[in-house]
Order: sequence, then C-alpha cells, then structure tokens
Amino acid sequence: MICLHHHLLALALLSTVGGPSTAAAQIRASEMGTMSQIIDGTRIAMQFYRPRARGRDTLFGKSDMSWGHTWTPGANWATTLEPSSAIKLNGVNIPKGKYSVWMRLNSASAWTFILDPDFHRYHMEPPDSNAKQIRIPVTVTTAPFTDVLTWSMPELHIDGGTLEFRWERARVALTLDVTPSLVMTFPATEATALLGAYTYTDIDKGKPVGTPKTLTITHEDNTLKGRFDPDDPYFKKFALIRIAPDWFAPGVYDKTGKIYEVLRPDETWEFTRTAGKIVSFVVRGEDDEIFARGVRKP
Amino acid sequence: MSVCAAGVATVAYPIRMAFARTTAHDCASDSSGERANDSAGGMVHVSRQKTPHPKPRTGITGANVLTAAQLADHEKLIPLFDSVRKIPQIIDGIRCNCGCGHPPEMYSLLSCYEGEAMARECAVCQGQGKLAARLHSEGKSLAEIRIALDAKFG
Repeated sequence: MICLHHHLLALALLSTVGGPSTAAAQIRASEMGTMSQIIDGTRIAMQFYRPRARGRDTLFGKSDMSWGHTWTPGANWATTLEPSSAIKLNGVNIPKGKYSVWMRLNSASAWTFILDPDFHRYHMEPPDSNAKQIRIPVTVTTAPFTDVLTWSMPELHIDGGTLEFRWERARVALTLDVTPSLVMTFPATEATALLGAYTYTDIDKGKPVGTPKTLTITHEDNTLKGRFDPDDPYFKKFALIRIAPDWFAPGVYDKTGKIYEVLRPDETWEFTRTAGKIVSFVVRGEDDEIFARGVRKP
Repeated sequence: MSVCAAGVATVAYPIRMAFARTTAHDCASDSSGERANDSAGGMVHVSRQKTPHPKPRTGITGANVLTAAQLADHEKLIPLFDSVRKIPQIIDGIRCNCGCGHPPEMYSLLSCYEGEAMARECAVCQGQGKLAARLHSEGKSLAEIRIALDAKFG
C-alpha cells in the first residue's frame, strides 16, 4: 500500500514537472460551454457542461432526469447564471449575482426553473428547497431534436430577449428583461418647449454643407419624436431620447415600431434655450465635432 | 452650454441642472448608482454600476502626455493631446468609458494619453478627451464634466 502510494505520488510529480503544456486538457463526455450576451450594458453569462444525447432518443423522464427529480440543465458541475446587473426572468426579479441553475422536472410539460445562490455545486447534489432560491414555473414545449444541451439567446431586443434551453426535444424559453439604461418616454409638459419645426443643416469642418432640411419635433405616444423633410430613409420618424437635461440621443425604430438602436455616443443632440424655450441645437458626434445644427423656424 | 447657431448667448443649463441634482453625492462616486433619477425633469440617464470616477492624484501633471514629436504618425491628434496635457487635474479625475476594462496601469482617462496611449487609436478615448476639454474651456467643473461624459459615453 505504501509502495502504491509512493508510486502514485511519483506519477503526480512527473505529471506536474514534465507534463505537456496542455496538461489540463481532458476529453469529457460533456464538454464545458459558455453563453454570454450583453444587452444595454448588462452582461448575462452562463457556464454549463454540455451533455450529448449520444444516440439516446429519450432522455427526460428517466434516470436522474426522472419526473420529480431536480437536475442541473447541464452536467458535471451545476450550470451557472451570472447577470452583471439586476434582470427579470419571466417577470421575476433576479438580483445581480451568480447562481447555480436547476430544473425541477415536475412532468413532461411543466418544470420549475431554480436559481440558487450556492453556485458551485456538483450536479448530483441539487440543493434542497430554501428561502434564498428563486423558483420560476416554466412550460416545456416540444422542439426539433437537439443532440447537445444548449443555452442560447435566440431573440434579442434593446431591453431583453429570450433565454432558451434546448436538449433532446425539450425547449424552455424564459423572457429576459434587463434594467434599461435610458428612459425612452418624455413628459408632455416638458416637451412643449421643444416642439416645432427647425431648419436642420449639415456641417462639415464648421461650415454648412448641402441643402438644409426641416426637422419637425412632435410628442407622440409619450415619446419625443423627430422627422426630417425630405424624409431620411434611415431615421424615418425617430425618437429623441433624453440622456441629460436638453441632451438627447436619437433612437431608430424598426418596422414593428420598436426602437432597435440608440445612437449613443454616435450622436448627441444638444439643445439651447433662450428664456426657457428651445431655440437651437447642435448635433455632435462621438468625437465631439459638430456635424449638424438646427435653428427654430420663425 | 452648446455652440449656438443663432448667436444667442448659450447657457450652462443642461449639465449644471444635472449636477444640481447630484450634489449630495460624493464627486468620486456620482455614477455608481443604478438609477440617478426619474424622468420628471431629473437626470434621466441610468448609469450601470461602474467603477467610480478616480480622484485626481495630488500633484498630477501632464508631463507624460504624448508630445507632437511622439505623435508623428497621428498629426491630427496633436491638438487633442495638447489640450489634455493642459488640464491633467481634470482628465485624471475621469474614468475611461471605452470598455478597456481598466487594467491596473490605467488610473484614469489621462492614462489613455500617456505611454502606449490608447487614445491614439480609440475613438471613445478621443471623444471623452475632446468633450472634457471643451466643457472645461466653457467653465464647467470636474463634477459637471463627469456627468456629461457619463451621459454621452457611460
């Protein structure tokens, strides 16, 4: 026994001293994967080992994925979820932090998504239900067969998206919302000072260029909006989103009427007041150079 | 506070107004909150939890800001580097928002204009320097400049 112990110790020393630089390499049945997505400055990071079906047609409802069991949607060490700021999943608040992720497999169609603050847990040691956990009932839908367990965000919008789990024929989709960095709406009472028509002139190296356009600022759907005449095919009708008092960044709408891009810091619209009323503005680029001016029309 | 196309006297309204609503905060941590205020006339920009703006180092100078000779390949940037060199006590009190991750050798935005000088290539470092220099020339305080930079780049 002593000899064996010494032999193993010698092997261990050899492996540390003379081993190849890839000594940490290990071929696993479930290789580690990561998923990371930044939405409006909030990073959502997941780490998970990715088991493969390996020819097995039915996985759920059997073995450690039997109905009633709590299972980490991954393998080896528990899958982790780490939002860099507070998020919501299916409307449930998830504070910034790092969590282990578990699913209670209630039935083929109804699971409970569980986040536990104890994030470093072996997959065979699911945590007992406790007050610190966040538990969200989720619906399991049927999807095309997925061989390798996958977490992804297949849908994104400016303040969230869909966090999706898929393996075998199971699909769980959670609505994810981040805390918006900007307030898109604008009070009508404050909008009055900005509303109206402006002569908008492009500026290059301090001098006017091109033909001036008319910019009309309106207040619609509780949002400050601008529109050029002649029409700008990219901007069309766009939002003016306040980033500081009298400083705005343009937000561009998609065809469904949702803002999909906010041009910050690309464009900062800096308005100037006289006697409380907006009389003019400049548009500055990321480099702080003025590339357009606007003057209120009489 | 902006250049005014109509020649009307510009006022320091935007940034000063924002600053007035944050005077209760420590200057060095005025952007560390999740939500600064509501939309009803307050500062509406919501800054993420970032590292606080650094405190300008005592006795800091612009001596290490790259010179014209060191910017031979970036001649257009010489005026910007010159303007940054003149206000080290301001630029050293600003957190860089370019996403560089703040490696240990980067103390402040001033660091972006020294040594390897990320500002030679990084448009965000350049934009922050330009905006800070402009607002300083307009008489804005470091606290006001920080707020403006966070609104635009934060």
